[in-house]
Amino acid sequence: MARQAVAPLTSTRLRWNWRWLPLLAAGLIFLGILLFATLRPIKVLPRMRLSPSFALIDQAGRKLTSEDLRGQVVLYGFGYSRCGASCSEIEHAMRGVQRQLLRGAAAGVPVRMVLISVDPEVDDATALSAYADRLGADPERWRFATGAPASLKQTVGGGFEVFYGTGADGQLRLDPALVLVDGAGIIRREYRAHDVGGLPDADRLMSHIALLQEEARGSEGLGRLAYEAAHLFVCYAP
Amino acid sequence: MISRTSRPDTRSRLLLYLLLVLVLAIGALLILFQLRPHSYHGWLLESPKPAADFTLTSGSGERVSLSDFRGKLVLLYFGYTYCPDVCPTSMAAIAEAMRQLGARSEDVAVVMVTVDPGRDTPEKVAEYAAHFNPDFIGLSGTPEEIAAAATPLGIYYEKRGAGGENYTVDHTATITVVDREGRVRLVFPFETTPEEIASDLAALLR
Repeated sequence: MARQAVAPLTSTRLRWNWRWLPLLAAGLIFLGILLFATLRPIKVLPRMRLSPSFALIDQAGRKLTSEDLRGQVVLYGFGYSRCGASCSEIEHAMRGVQRQLLRGAAAGVPVRMVLISVDPEVDDATALSAYADRLGADPERWRFATGAPASLKQTVGGGFEVFYGTGADGQLRLDPALVLVDGAGIIRREYRAHDVGGLPDADRLMSHIALLQEEARGSEGLGRLAYEAAHLFVCYAP
Repeated sequence: MISRTSRPDTRSRLLLYLLLVLVLAIGALLILFQLRPHSYHGWLLESPKPAADFTLTSGSGERVSLSDFRGKLVLLYFGYTYCPDVCPTSMAAIAEAMRQLGARSEDVAVVMVTVDPGRDTPEKVAEYAAHFNPDFIGLSGTPEEIAAAATPLGIYYEKRGAGGENYTVDHTATITVVDREGRVRLVFPFETTPEEIASDLAALLR
């Protein structure tokens, strides 16, 4: 019987080779992207759409324009002085936010609140001033304003997409809503009474306000890339 | 007959496995690089909605609606012809961006809407816009028509100064981009460079 030559078994040792470095780096980057997309370490609010422009008159008879509020985080509420129970949730939430703002809970980009009255025929500056007093509004942080019916409809109904109108009984109807706008004039969150869970409380609103402030603070230089990645990977806050 | 088969030892298998993983990772990275999302310089709207349509008048007297441009990117700029500084700067930046886009600029319509209908006739705005690029379109209209176009896009404007013809108009100086499906997609703040505008538009045209 002929003997078959058997090749000796060779063993390959796993040794570090510097040529692997680019491969390792690529693997780590890939892993990093995967982890970012999965763990979502940065939370953001989506850039929904543009906030409309407006020129309104506030409770002190001063002009209040959308441009005056640029560069600030603005929480808009929609109501009117005679609204009663339908607007109580909005008013309560805004009062809660004001309380927390006065305690210095939100540092960074200034935060302002605007309650837009959809009842300009009744809510003149005097009525708005009384309304603001009733809710204990700090005029530096929380302004109450309204405008001419036609432009108000264009701004509130068309721009903010908040429905209001007169019912068959002649009474004013309003779908209560809050809208959060960033310093660039972009709507970042809308809260409507018919949303699942209803309108938010002050704590939830403050957490969203804080996210916008953090984003404004953190979006400088390389931080912008991280925030853009958070938008790209839909890392939206609940 | 005795036959002996050689089998790779554990280390070789591990090496092969690692190499396979790395090759797959590199392949995935290359694909990601090709499909990589553009990092926008303007503010990209994530849930873009259809832009509110409007109709204004062109220099030739034609009625022109935003929806007429469907299929093209539309750069909307609100300004006025007596504008001392901001408007020429922005319009020149847009013109330079179009030049940088080259042939792809054919898929972009640049529309300037006046915020000063009192002085800016459609002919005047058209002539002003064409001064920066013959393809640029200038539109004017009644105060109500202009308000209907500007308000939903967050463009605020207000007359300043003495009465009569001697006044300026303060206005929001952003540039709004409406995509080919007619949705508001991107907003450039004032002083976005032509390179940044061109780069973002190229990404939207991909």
